[in-house]
Amino acid sequence: MQPIYSLQHIVKRYDSRLVLDIDQLELIPGQSYALLGPNGAGKSTLLELLALLSQPTAGNLQFAGETVHWNKRSLRSQRERITLVHQAPYLFNRSVFDNIAFGLSLRGIHGARQRQTIAAALERVGLADFAPRHARRLSGGEAQRVALARALALRPEVLLLDEPTASIHSETVPVLEQVINELRASGTTLIIATHDPQQAARLQCHPLMLENGQLADPVQRCQQTDHPPLPETGRSTCGHCCAA
Amino acid sequence: MEYLSSSLGTALALIVSMDREVLSTVWTSLSLSLVSIGMAALIGIPVGAWLSMGRVPLRRLCITLLNTLMALPTVVVGLVIFGLLSRQGPLGSWGLLFTPWAMIIGQTVLATPIVANYTLGALSGADPRILPTALTLGASPLQGAWQLLLEVRFGIMAAIIAGFGRVIAEVGVAMMLGGNIRGYTRTMTTAIALETSKGEFAFGLALGLVLMTVALAVNLLLNLLQQR
Repeated sequence: MQPIYSLQHIVKRYDSRLVLDIDQLELIPGQSYALLGPNGAGKSTLLELLALLSQPTAGNLQFAGETVHWNKRSLRSQRERITLVHQAPYLFNRSVFDNIAFGLSLRGIHGARQRQTIAAALERVGLADFAPRHARRLSGGEAQRVALARALALRPEVLLLDEPTASIHSETVPVLEQVINELRASGTTLIIATHDPQQAARLQCHPLMLENGQLADPVQRCQQTDHPPLPETGRSTCGHCCAA
Repeated sequence: MEYLSSSLGTALALIVSMDREVLSTVWTSLSLSLVSIGMAALIGIPVGAWLSMGRVPLRRLCITLLNTLMALPTVVVGLVIFGLLSRQGPLGSWGLLFTPWAMIIGQTVLATPIVANYTLGALSGADPRILPTALTLGASPLQGAWQLLLEVRFGIMAAIIAGFGRVIAEVGVAMMLGGNIRGYTRTMTTAIALETSKGEFAFGLALGLVLMTVALAVNLLLNLLQQR
């Protein structure tokens, strides 16, 4: 199967600081991946790159079999197939409805269809009656869920989530994990950055371990520990990565 | 003291009775200032937006120049444009001197650096997540930039109001380029200067009161927007 992403010799530097150095990586469409690693490992940088928002300093990135050309019009049509939800998402200074409508309007979805899509997306994240509220008056957790609803409404082929439950109340985490599981089952390619290996295991994500901007082999790490396998999946886990 | 209080009484009576001369001067001032600030916004907002981008050549020099232009004395602007528009000047054939258009050109020159600088400040202080958010939701770079401007709209409005405050209260450009022609280029500030020198203190005071009210309203609006 043709990979949805193919990264070759990707390097990303901020000034002279190396933040990402990936020699080879291929991601299969419809699969779920968990980006694991400590703070500063390069997870968010890799997500920005996969969202086609940040250009690598060097290397070749292919999306759906096509090389990404950073200065061409084709970039926008490629971006439309991908949506990134940031760890601390930005909501536009207007209503929740308008925030979700933004991307839909850009895709030519207006009127009744837009309203239905927005209502369905909000219901999915447990915020059914939040449409008229002003985005600036939401709690951090509510804002995170609205940002997820905003992404869900667009039905992207690839959904990139940066610590999706980091600022959410523990009682709401299962609701969002359920949404993520449904997306996985529907064939959406999911790439989730998380610091929680257990969450990655719960979401049945293929682990991608990042350390100092480089991909590490999670299998080797797990073999170095005698962590017991998870009963429901039969996978093993360790303190640093989720599963092997 | 009696002179002041009686003049104040007369000034208030002129305002309350909506004196034709007062109204005409106020209308000239407001209309010219509004056109000038509209033109300054058309130039200043893109300039400020352009300078807010990181990769502009000689960016620091441009910003220093902009700051210097903000403090430009109005009579200097008037003098330079007078030189350009006077009959012997390079643009003398246009016949604009002592017309409202000459005043609009001068006031636009005065207000543009203010609008550009305030816009630059608003965009530089904008949340860095706005553009990536718009792009990941499917916006083109141009649509993303527009969204960015919408998000800092209160800062942009503050830029326009600050520029308006500058042009409505200036006297140098209006006097030198407009010529203070009654019912044509006579603004509140030039009328105050003229009427006071003629001994019509109450008339000058009436216009002064209107001007101060406009300035107060502008500043209240500016404060309100800066708190948003």
